[in-house]
Amino acid sequence: MTPKQPPEAGDILQGTLDLLILRTLIFGPAHGHTIAHSIEQTSENALEIEQGSLYPALHRLEDRGLVSSKWGVSDNNRKAKFYQLTAKGRKELTAATSRWRQMTRAIGLILGESNS
Amino acid sequence: MGFFQRFLHRKEKDRDLAEEIESHIAHERDANQARGLSDAEAQRQAQLKFGNPLVVRERVWHYRSVPWLEDLWRDVRFAWRSLRKTPGFTAVALLVIALGIGVNTAVFSVVNTVLLQPLPYPEPQSLVRMVQNFPQGSFDSTSVPELNMWLHQTAILNQIAAYDTGGAGINLTGGDHPQQIQGIHVTQNYFSLFGAQFIAGRAFTPEEDSPNGPHVVVLSYGLWKRRYGGDANIVGRTVQLDGEPYLIVGVVARNFVIDDPADLWVPYQFDLNTQDMAHYFGVAARLKPGISIEQANAQLKLASDQFRRAIPNAIGPQSNFAVMPLKQWMIGDTRTPLLILLSAVALVLLIACANVANLLLARASGRKREFATRAALGAGRWHVIRQLLAESLILSLSGSLLGLLLGYVGVRLLLAVNIGGLPRLGEDGSTVALDTRLLLFTLCISVITGILFGLAPAISALRTNLLGTLNESGSRSGTGSRSTSFRSILVVSEIALALVLVIGSTLLIRTYLKLQAVDPGFDQHNTLTLAMSMSGSRFQTSAPVAQIIHQGTEQLKSIPGVLDAAVANGLPLEGAFGMSFNVVGRPKGNGPFAGGASYYSVSSSFFHTLKIPLLRGRNFTEHDDASSPGVIIINQAMAKQFWPNSDPLKDRIQKAPGSPAGSPFSESPRQVVGIVGDTRDQGLNQNPAPTMYIPLAQMPDGETALNSRVVPLWWIVRTASNPNTFVTPITEALRQSSSGLPVAHIRTMDEIHSLTTSRQRFNMLLLTIFGASGLLLAAIGVYGLMAYSVEQRTQELGIRMALGAQASDIRNMVLGQGMLLTLIGVAIGIGSAFWLTRFLASFLFAVKTWDPIAFILTPLLLAAVALIATLIPALRATHVDPMTALRSE
Repeated sequence: MTPKQPPEAGDILQGTLDLLILRTLIFGPAHGHTIAHSIEQTSENALEIEQGSLYPALHRLEDRGLVSSKWGVSDNNRKAKFYQLTAKGRKELTAATSRWRQMTRAIGLILGESNS
Repeated sequence: MGFFQRFLHRKEKDRDLAEEIESHIAHERDANQARGLSDAEAQRQAQLKFGNPLVVRERVWHYRSVPWLEDLWRDVRFAWRSLRKTPGFTAVALLVIALGIGVNTAVFSVVNTVLLQPLPYPEPQSLVRMVQNFPQGSFDSTSVPELNMWLHQTAILNQIAAYDTGGAGINLTGGDHPQQIQGIHVTQNYFSLFGAQFIAGRAFTPEEDSPNGPHVVVLSYGLWKRRYGGDANIVGRTVQLDGEPYLIVGVVARNFVIDDPADLWVPYQFDLNTQDMAHYFGVAARLKPGISIEQANAQLKLASDQFRRAIPNAIGPQSNFAVMPLKQWMIGDTRTPLLILLSAVALVLLIACANVANLLLARASGRKREFATRAALGAGRWHVIRQLLAESLILSLSGSLLGLLLGYVGVRLLLAVNIGGLPRLGEDGSTVALDTRLLLFTLCISVITGILFGLAPAISALRTNLLGTLNESGSRSGTGSRSTSFRSILVVSEIALALVLVIGSTLLIRTYLKLQAVDPGFDQHNTLTLAMSMSGSRFQTSAPVAQIIHQGTEQLKSIPGVLDAAVANGLPLEGAFGMSFNVVGRPKGNGPFAGGASYYSVSSSFFHTLKIPLLRGRNFTEHDDASSPGVIIINQAMAKQFWPNSDPLKDRIQKAPGSPAGSPFSESPRQVVGIVGDTRDQGLNQNPAPTMYIPLAQMPDGETALNSRVVPLWWIVRTASNPNTFVTPITEALRQSSSGLPVAHIRTMDEIHSLTTSRQRFNMLLLTIFGASGLLLAAIGVYGLMAYSVEQRTQELGIRMALGAQASDIRNMVLGQGMLLTLIGVAIGIGSAFWLTRFLASFLFAVKTWDPIAFILTPLLLAAVALIATLIPALRATHVDPMTALRSE
């Protein structure tokens, strides 16, 4: 039995991080560094995450068959592992996006009520 | 992607990830350099931004792992290390477990072979054996008219076959050395009933099995290989049996197994219309599909009534034909004794469990500090318990592997010495095999025992008080009274269980000794017996047989050192034929027969050779032959039972009354001329049966013909010294006097005597092994507990001695504690044995289940063993040096 550990920020955001990664990959295959940067930049640096926490999420997505990966060469002429959205990943992105919208709407409603 | 793929190739994937991380950091460094940072700063910031790569790799690694499997592996490795650190403890525990599991595996392998294995025939559950039930019991021999009745039961039975049980033996002639072999008469359905396959030729045809059919024979695989070198063209050739040519029609495949091994088979060629009521063969059949035993027996009850009407007086008014599952018939009365032995051996396992639990407890209390430390470092209680269970399971599994080996080798050795009269075990127990069921049994009991003895220390670990234990000095903790009292309970139960076993084995030893002391009614020492087969057309009448007997006896007597020789159609202690009789002039009883008795035909020197005393009247002489009036000798039991108030020597006996004319037994009444002493032919533990003897030379020809077919002539030779040294001259003399007949089954009467008690010896041997194992284990238990308690109390003993206690006080204190446990165990054991020995009643002879000697001597023996086991630690306690004891720690 493993001792209980305090929940990490990554755990809370895990579902969110998955969604962000999938969303990033919609523009085409990308390697880990590109994905991290693109999340940072598109969120106007609001979601600054430890870049390392990206990788457990990527591997989980790969095991679930939502993304596939293969080694290639980056623009910098370096060896890098490229991730690509699978058909299953696309479907999941659509579903997760709509789940997210529903949730944020619900939370917005609640917050709005408590404010008034 | 499969679920399990996640857990595969973890190392490879980890290397891949490391590379990926490296590439990520390199890209970030490139970006930083592009922003104008120095190389070192670019690298530093890239690493900072990424976070700790090891943590990332660890998280992915964990995600790909199965926690409990890894924990288990860790526990197993840890348990292994910790067991190796204490080789002494591990060796003792392994031996105890191996002993407990070994004896259980051994007994179960016999139970498995005898009781559980299906018969080695196709659809064995539908095979049945024909029997005749009557109020006093059951009878499994059949006569030809009865076979005819069976053959008509086509509504309930398929494939009805008759076959010899035993047989007279057949002489394989034609070579330089005639050889007596086991030939079995069968009806033509026999091979298809038992699913025998042929590697050459075929089974008998119905024509070949008709009266006056041709001389044909089917060979066994063994004989075909041995005698004919596996000749592929053997079918169609002839073989000489009893001097006559027989056509070989088939060879049976090697995998055909029967309980009485046979070398060859010949067809019975019965005339089904005969009225001959001699019972001399067995019948088996297959139930029709959908017919139950009960349905068959209901139908057979009707058939019995019909049979009674058709052939008056052939069977008793209350006799009924019936069927019984063939397997049940083969197992016979061995089921209950085997199950009792299995229960007894389970007690040994219980003792072994208690013993190992005790050892583990002692070990665990010595390790309390270790557990407390581990708990302090973050291990949960469950961690510690799992750890202890892993240790005990490793112990029990490796111990039972050892035990399996021990038990299997042990049981084969045991059965090679003594097969205990058990059926289905093959020659020397060769059918006892390591099969899946046996392996599963051993695995099951080893896991159960592992958990049983592993639980005790685990529970005690649950109560570990972390702080308290750490504060206690050194490793000397666990002297808490609760732990010790639990261990005392274990030792007391061990003693009680061991006592039950030892009392049981004492009862069986006493039974065996009583049996050995039984007078068999004749002198079995210095006597050799040999079987001579009289099968074949030469010996269908009494005169040539009498001639062979006369010449053989004379020739044997001329050998120096041979005192006397005789012949009979059966040997004492091996069971005899039964025969009905009337006393001439008495009113007939209510049954078809006035009485029944064991029945032997013997040569005139029979009583003198075996030293059976003549009590009244006269012995047979050479003059009691076919030309003189019929005579008969009875034993004392018969005289007492049938002539309680009159003189049998004044009466005449009509044997086989009511036999139709032409029956092999029909003859005139015989005069009773003598009364001889009783012999115990039904077994040494049975009362002597009423028995009658007639001279072989006076047998009706038909009876001689039947005898020649069913049984061999048994030669009995009394020698002046060890009969085994006379085998060569005796067999040579018999061969010469009979112009070439071979002999077989050469045994001394002492061997036969010991065979009759083989089952009792087998039971005694097994229970003595169990008892001795139990005693040894209990002694180890007492010793272990006392030695441990002395060691734990070194300090206390030191203080006592420093305060003036004498060595004898200390010794007596330890002895007193050990003996108190022993006495409690003995008291409980006597009580349990008193209740449990009733299950041994069927094993006993002339010994009561509460035999005072067993119930007094055995506890004394056990107490003595426990005293010795306690004395060693008690004496060690007196050698405690107060100064050292007080200074230590």
